[in-house]
Amino acid sequence: MSAIGENRATEGAAQVTDSTGSQGARWWVRVGAVQRRYQLAQILALVALFEWGTWTITDFATKQSVLSMLVAASFLGLAGAGQTIVVLVGGIDFSIPAFISGGAIIVTNLTSSDHWAFVPALLVVIVFAVVLGAANGYVAHRFAVPPLVVTLGMASLITGALLIWTNSAPTGGAPAFLTRLTSVSSTTFGIGVPPVVVIWAVVAVILGVGLRRTIAGRKLYATGANPVAAELSLVKTRRVWTGAYALSALLAALLGVLLGGYTSSGNITLGDPYLFQGLAAVIVGGTAFGARGNYWKTVLGALVLTVLSTVLVGKGYSNADQQIIFGVLILVVVAGYGRESRLRDRI
Amino acid sequence: MSELLAQVRRWPWGFAAVVAIALLVANVIARASFATPSSWPSTLADFAPFAIAAMATTPAVLSGGGSVDISIGPLLNLVSIIIVGVLIPHGLGSFWVAVPIALATGAVVGFVNGVLVAVFRYQAVLSTLCALFVLTGIGLAVLSQPASGTTGWLSDLGNSVGPIPGGLILILIPVAVWIALGRTSFLRSLYCVGGDDVASYSAGANVTGVRIVAFTLGGLFAGIAGIAYAAATQSADAGQATQYTLPAIAAVAIGGTSLLGGRGSLLGAIAGAAIMFLIQTLLDSLNVSSNWVQLIYGAILLFAIVLSSVLARPGRPTLAAAEGPVA
Repeated sequence: MSAIGENRATEGAAQVTDSTGSQGARWWVRVGAVQRRYQLAQILALVALFEWGTWTITDFATKQSVLSMLVAASFLGLAGAGQTIVVLVGGIDFSIPAFISGGAIIVTNLTSSDHWAFVPALLVVIVFAVVLGAANGYVAHRFAVPPLVVTLGMASLITGALLIWTNSAPTGGAPAFLTRLTSVSSTTFGIGVPPVVVIWAVVAVILGVGLRRTIAGRKLYATGANPVAAELSLVKTRRVWTGAYALSALLAALLGVLLGGYTSSGNITLGDPYLFQGLAAVIVGGTAFGARGNYWKTVLGALVLTVLSTVLVGKGYSNADQQIIFGVLILVVVAGYGRESRLRDRI
Repeated sequence: MSELLAQVRRWPWGFAAVVAIALLVANVIARASFATPSSWPSTLADFAPFAIAAMATTPAVLSGGGSVDISIGPLLNLVSIIIVGVLIPHGLGSFWVAVPIALATGAVVGFVNGVLVAVFRYQAVLSTLCALFVLTGIGLAVLSQPASGTTGWLSDLGNSVGPIPGGLILILIPVAVWIALGRTSFLRSLYCVGGDDVASYSAGANVTGVRIVAFTLGGLFAGIAGIAYAAATQSADAGQATQYTLPAIAAVAIGGTSLLGGRGSLLGAIAGAAIMFLIQTLLDSLNVSSNWVQLIYGAILLFAIVLSSVLARPGRPTLAAAEGPVA
């Protein structure tokens, strides 16, 4: 897969600038074009942060430590997967934490307290996520209301329903095999990485290829780039929105199932940390509202953020300092590529 | 009836105002003491931080280009931390020290956000997300444990100043600022820039300046919201940094302000915030179990936003996607 940053279609404008001025092209124009295609800044940041950690923190680059970073990055990357899709189509999804908590609570409660088998419980999670996620996209599109408010309302609705169902005290633990899926020390069919990392890789390949190479994926980009033009090209944009939000919710709920295994319990606030962090992974990766970006970028964003926070923890920074450095570094990293064009260039 | 509908369409916040008044009546029916004047100061004090947070979110949203400021919540929380956690314990809690510091903090953070968006051309969601992380971090660094405390003027604002509820005074300050700005050319420029920034730029409007002022104004209002929060709760907690962020944006949208910019008003933000606040108080008055409150709150939020959209736009709804990102 040479798919990292295959954005010829969406970022053609930038490359036109490059090719027309290529003889005397100023160096930063050329660097900018390379950045747009190959995520130079993020890869450099990732390597630099990792090297910094390796040289200054003991046991930073041990197998154990790298594996636990990969597990954390898998969670963050999966949390950013749905958000990437929704952001590409031109929306935003603030109900992801609720779906994460929902997935975890439904599975742990049904399998332990109610003695269900795992597969029917998983089916319940899938139906729950697809139906309510689709409702997000449908309502936002049909009634032309801001998806931000719709997903916030949905999040409140789901949280309330979960609180009522569990009587605000979710009980139960996860099946043992689910815990093994996310345990740092477990292996996948003899390969020395935890299954959750493999799952993430599979999701990344499917989404990476699916967004770029399938008809559904192209419709998604068309809708995000220009909904009116897409509609006129006979793309049923309402279906695209409904599908995108359903997929976002499904990915979040399945992450919830994995997290339920990781923490061995369901918890109503389980998903909360993944809201702004997941959004940060998407944006740091370089995906922007309206069909600019792809899932590979978010994968990179999740890796950068995970290594960054591991380094900060290893350096002994307090939670407060971590947040501050996190915010400032995102601004610095994104300065090179994630900015809007000048007004005078948009006339 | 159709005339009424036309009125509603002319003022996008009209619908929100009607719903807010209906909810107010429902609140009074559910709990008669809601209407007793003696209960107003505490109700308004509770309402003030949220209402002002919604107003603080409005100017940046109006300035268009998807400019939504999600750092308003942490900013108002930081201001309350500075007042309750730093100034009062160090004996600097007097009105003429604390209030200028609170307002300056808000305005400076808003100004920095504005410069990042308008001059450095960051996407507003990104730069204010970074601001959210930084402000939350600073809050945690300044005050690791929740603190409480108050002082003369602050408890007056949380209760009443003479015969007037303190919360009402605080809510009216941004409104007064807004009305004063209405006498300058700024508001007109703001709506122009929000409606179409490229066209405004071509017409010679100072788009950069207008956006910076809009964010600064939002920050200033967030400073007032921080004072209101400190006055109402008499406490500060760094862990509560993001509690107002998203509800404030939701209130702005329910109040008929387009998250795309160029359309809406400060009064809409108050009406939208009132709807969300009055739903909560109504459910409390009806002794609804707190678990159900979340569910019903979400359902009403969805219903209100859909209804306001349907009423505001006659005929076939436009494409949601055409409304644009984050909208």
